[in-house]
Amino acid sequence: MRLFAALATLLLVAGFASGASAHAALVSVEPASGSMLATAPKAVELRFNEAVTPGAIRLIDGAGRARDDARVSASGETISVVMPVDLPEGTAVVSYRVISQDGHPVTGSVIFSIGMPTATKPAAAVDGGLNALIWLARVGLYVGLFIGVGGVFFARWVAWSMTGMAVPRMALAIGIPSAVASVGALGLDLLGLPLAALATAAPWKVALATSAGPALLVAVLAMLLALMALRSAWYARALAIMALVGVGLSLAMTGHAATAPPEALTRPAIFLHGLGVTIWIGALAPLVALVSKPTIATLPIVNRFSRIAALAVGVLALTGLALAIVQLEKPGALVETRYGLILSVKLVLVTGLLALAALNRFRLTPALARNETGTPALKRSILLESTIALAILAVVAGWRFTPPPRTIVPETSLAIHIHSDKAMFQVLVSPGKAGTNDVVLQLMTGEGTPLAAKEATLTLSLPERGIEPMERRASLGPDGYWHVRKVELPFAGRWHVRIDALVTDFEQITLEDELDVTPP
Amino acid sequence: MSKQSCLILVAALAASPAAAHVSLETKQATVGTSYKAVFTVPHGCAGSPTVKIRVQIPEGVIAVKPMPKAGWTIDVVEGKYAGEYDYHGNKLSSGVKEVAWSGGKLPDKNYDEFVLSTFLTDSLKPNTVLYFPVVQECEAGVSRWIDIPAAGAGHSHEGKSEGKSPAPGVKLLPKP
Repeated sequence: MRLFAALATLLLVAGFASGASAHAALVSVEPASGSMLATAPKAVELRFNEAVTPGAIRLIDGAGRARDDARVSASGETISVVMPVDLPEGTAVVSYRVISQDGHPVTGSVIFSIGMPTATKPAAAVDGGLNALIWLARVGLYVGLFIGVGGVFFARWVAWSMTGMAVPRMALAIGIPSAVASVGALGLDLLGLPLAALATAAPWKVALATSAGPALLVAVLAMLLALMALRSAWYARALAIMALVGVGLSLAMTGHAATAPPEALTRPAIFLHGLGVTIWIGALAPLVALVSKPTIATLPIVNRFSRIAALAVGVLALTGLALAIVQLEKPGALVETRYGLILSVKLVLVTGLLALAALNRFRLTPALARNETGTPALKRSILLESTIALAILAVVAGWRFTPPPRTIVPETSLAIHIHSDKAMFQVLVSPGKAGTNDVVLQLMTGEGTPLAAKEATLTLSLPERGIEPMERRASLGPDGYWHVRKVELPFAGRWHVRIDALVTDFEQITLEDELDVTPP
Repeated sequence: MSKQSCLILVAALAASPAAAHVSLETKQATVGTSYKAVFTVPHGCAGSPTVKIRVQIPEGVIAVKPMPKAGWTIDVVEGKYAGEYDYHGNKLSSGVKEVAWSGGKLPDKNYDEFVLSTFLTDSLKPNTVLYFPVVQECEAGVSRWIDIPAAGAGHSHEGKSEGKSPAPGVKLLPKP
């Protein structure tokens, strides 16, 4: 338990120390996607909401040729793709694949035309086979971690008997190669390579350099420890608890949830959630074996597990709720986003699982106590519980492919930066087309530090169409940015933007610029 | 009523003579002399009666004494000046930085004046405009007369739109 506390503390400190915010989203592109340019741009600049690492960045020029002479340079959250000097006229496509801080790839394309549009299309990026491999490897990994390590932990710490270890042993045999396959598949996904490239070093190197690489290594280590703990030895119990902690650590080291701010909350929550799942799900397979051939020892084991499981379920519910609130941000996302839908399906399954667990705890276990022959019902119930648990693991592995709602930013095709000695204002207009737009203002001082304003006002006019200044007050959001929602920009054209930031009662900073709004 | 409609009203009135803004009655003054700053308040905030007038004293203006007004309470905020100023042989390094008249009620249909006695020190640059930012608080809404053209922009504004709520200003003349 001392070791456990020390690890938990370490994790908490790690959570505080790193300031990453995970799962990157594209904030702005220069030139804007879909724009028509008179001459070739010098570079395409992609700005994300957090620091990213470039994975595969490709340029297809107006003549439809894939170019390999575009220079890519990254600094923090901006990736700059320097265009070759001899870019021909026509529609060019820059497709990008970058690695965000949660270890997941983020992909997209920027399309712009020089002189005249041609029919260049972005390369079809999604490889169904690879996604299936990623998903299968993830399910296999969960099976190894929860059923394998969990089963061994149950045997060593709850049952004190090695009955029913066949399933956990098999789960570990699936889990270890799955973890290795996960590393390889992640590398392929990050670099956009075909399966055959697994024979080369590149995908492995890239994957191990992300946060997911070390996490998968820890998972492999935990499963190896669990395998060793299967053998009788005086230190087997120590190995089993280390394996259990390893599962929690591995999960807390990477992924959407572990890297969601505030990390001081989410990382320990994921850690505890992982421990809870492992203790609960891992016990199911050995329990079936125990209940199949009841002995004198069966009843005390089932009773002991009942008590531990109640605690595990409580921890699962609390940490799960906290993580869902962080990731979803609003209840509507539960049905409106793919991430939320997966969570909804999971919640339905979990409810079924809880109902069965309650049945076992309050009806079947007492029945077992009264009458030794009551075991078939309990066995059936636990088998059903195991099936639902597997289904949950299969569903949850799908989260790998869906960004959490917290990171979904509306597509922004218009961003302007206004700079004077006194201040720098960043203006994001989405979607940046004629019609209803949302505007986000980021106010900074001339030195780039946040500017504390009492009020911010956005004034828009379109002199060429005789539209007089429309003034809207911005409201300060919890994100530190000023928001003006539902701004009507009735026409496309060169709008005049004026931002007044009231710094003190008597002083305001005003910056102005032009904004090219495109037709819808 | 909202600030927005107030500003629409201001914009509408902007076409008429300068009387629409809170402004200084005496438009010119000589540096190194005393200056009686008379703030004229021609209307409330979009029809709402004025209940408070706050004036910020710019750096280089010292020996500020507000003139009492029947029905209004005067509050002054004192603080350190950025520099030190000679005033009749005394070195002044702190004094009035802000003056507020409150507690009264000036209906929109009436006109009134708020008066300060000041001294414009030699440190002020002749041939520039000295601005006194004013915040006009009403029963409903606030009007901030605080727009100051960027230095160098002068009156040409170089493509910038004119401040919609200009701060009252006085043109400084060199000592004869």
